[in-house]
Amino acid sequence: MSSFGFGLMTAAVLAIATVGFTMQFAVTNVLNLAYGSVMINSAFVAYYFNKHGMNAWITLIFGVILGSVVSWAINKFVFTPFQRRNLAPITVVIVALGVDLIGTFGLQAIVGGGYVSFSVSPGREFHILGMFLSGMQLIILAICAVVLILVHWLLKYTRLGKAMRATSANANLARNSGVKTQRVISTTWLISGALCGLAGTIFALNTGVFEATSAQLYIVMLLAAMFLGGPGEPYGAMFGALTIGLATEISAAYISPQYKEVVAFVVLLGMLTFRPYGIFGSEKTN
Amino acid sequence: MSVELSQAGQVLTATNLSAGYDGRAIVQGVNVEATPGKVVSIVGPNGSGKSTLLKSLVGVVPVLAGTVAIGSRDITNFAPEKVATLGVGYVPQIDDVFPPLTVKENLEIGGFLLPRHDVAGRIEAVLEFFPRLKEMLTRKAGKLSGGERKMLAMGRVLMLAPSVLVLDEPTANLAPMVATQLLEEYIRGFADHGSTVLLVEQRAKAALRISDWTCVLGGGRVVLEGAPKDLERDPVFVESFLGGAARH
Repeated sequence: MSSFGFGLMTAAVLAIATVGFTMQFAVTNVLNLAYGSVMINSAFVAYYFNKHGMNAWITLIFGVILGSVVSWAINKFVFTPFQRRNLAPITVVIVALGVDLIGTFGLQAIVGGGYVSFSVSPGREFHILGMFLSGMQLIILAICAVVLILVHWLLKYTRLGKAMRATSANANLARNSGVKTQRVISTTWLISGALCGLAGTIFALNTGVFEATSAQLYIVMLLAAMFLGGPGEPYGAMFGALTIGLATEISAAYISPQYKEVVAFVVLLGMLTFRPYGIFGSEKTN
Repeated sequence: MSVELSQAGQVLTATNLSAGYDGRAIVQGVNVEATPGKVVSIVGPNGSGKSTLLKSLVGVVPVLAGTVAIGSRDITNFAPEKVATLGVGYVPQIDDVFPPLTVKENLEIGGFLLPRHDVAGRIEAVLEFFPRLKEMLTRKAGKLSGGERKMLAMGRVLMLAPSVLVLDEPTANLAPMVATQLLEEYIRGFADHGSTVLLVEQRAKAALRISDWTCVLGGGRVVLEGAPKDLERDPVFVESFLGGAARH
């Protein structure tokens, strides 16, 4: 049952990250492999404020802002110029990989290679449904629930959310309907970047100790969760994150925790082989 | 038909228009004029540039030479979202709805430029026109049949009460009866209420029946044009498009 508790925590963080990741992919058509590097940079900015005395939960705001602004800037100044040149999509993927390496190792050059941790009290422990969860973990679960509800509300009930889904489904038709898709895409980078920054900071809080390269393999988890749910399907991302989070943590109870990403990778390969459009996706998505 | 569904038309003109992809012209030196209250149809074999022509008029394909105008306003190479604000409703041949969105959400996106408080009323007006859509408001557009889907595509553009309708093969993949109803009842109806209709249609006979003027495109150029009754007497046209002897 304790593995289930760990799995739930991993799933919560992964859900926020994957929803942002898949939203970026669906609306902007960019497979942003630099996502993990933006996550960890956001975590370090939040950590910087925490180190200087700010409450760890308040520093989340700075993680969110950095993730949002940096993601928007990466799209504006790196991805968009490449996309305008009508290069093959693989080119943008390689560019994203380059941005990821620069972001991660650039951060390492600045903060060094040592492990750091937030100064935050885990709070008292609660015994819920056979799981032992700290107050901090319950707050993380609550944040995750609120964020996912907000994302659902955004996509389903707001004009912007509907425009995002329309742009994702058919950008040309959306433009013919009067939707300013470039503005929608920019806003999507801001929102998905905010989710990326939040996920990164919560990831660091949940992990306990972290360093500049801690999120480097996280992209495997993100890809597995996204492909499991269906590329570009935000609700599929939530399902994929829950499944991958639980699967990796429960498997860690039986095999070495070091192989968690391997489990995610096996799921990813399985999905790509048998159902590349995911559980929630359609063949057209593929 | 409810008059409010579309507005009194504007003249849509293409003058010496060349357009295409990556700097390569697919249509060349085309002149077309669509006027209020009339249906102008464009027919021609596959690959003659019919769809490219329509796409260039609504800003989806770049114009390489010549001009596009609405009334006296030059709209050459305007972005599609800008063209939509000028009252031009465009229904593409394929990918004409948003499959993951429900019917209601498709209509809401169609009314994206409307003030928020007008959207619900406008949806009601469109549903009065296409009552079958009423029963499927919560169904995803990707699950609709061909005819229902085309109704939704038309409904989506009617949300903005367009003055100019640009329709690319609206009857493609439709059953003959549905196609006839769409052309004769709805599309002809828009023109009869004063809208401007520019239509690309594969079914030449059906297109001629509802058109006031027809252009024949071949190799990216207008090779023949005229009133339907004149084209029906042209042996070359009859042989190529109507599959039989000319009427005399």
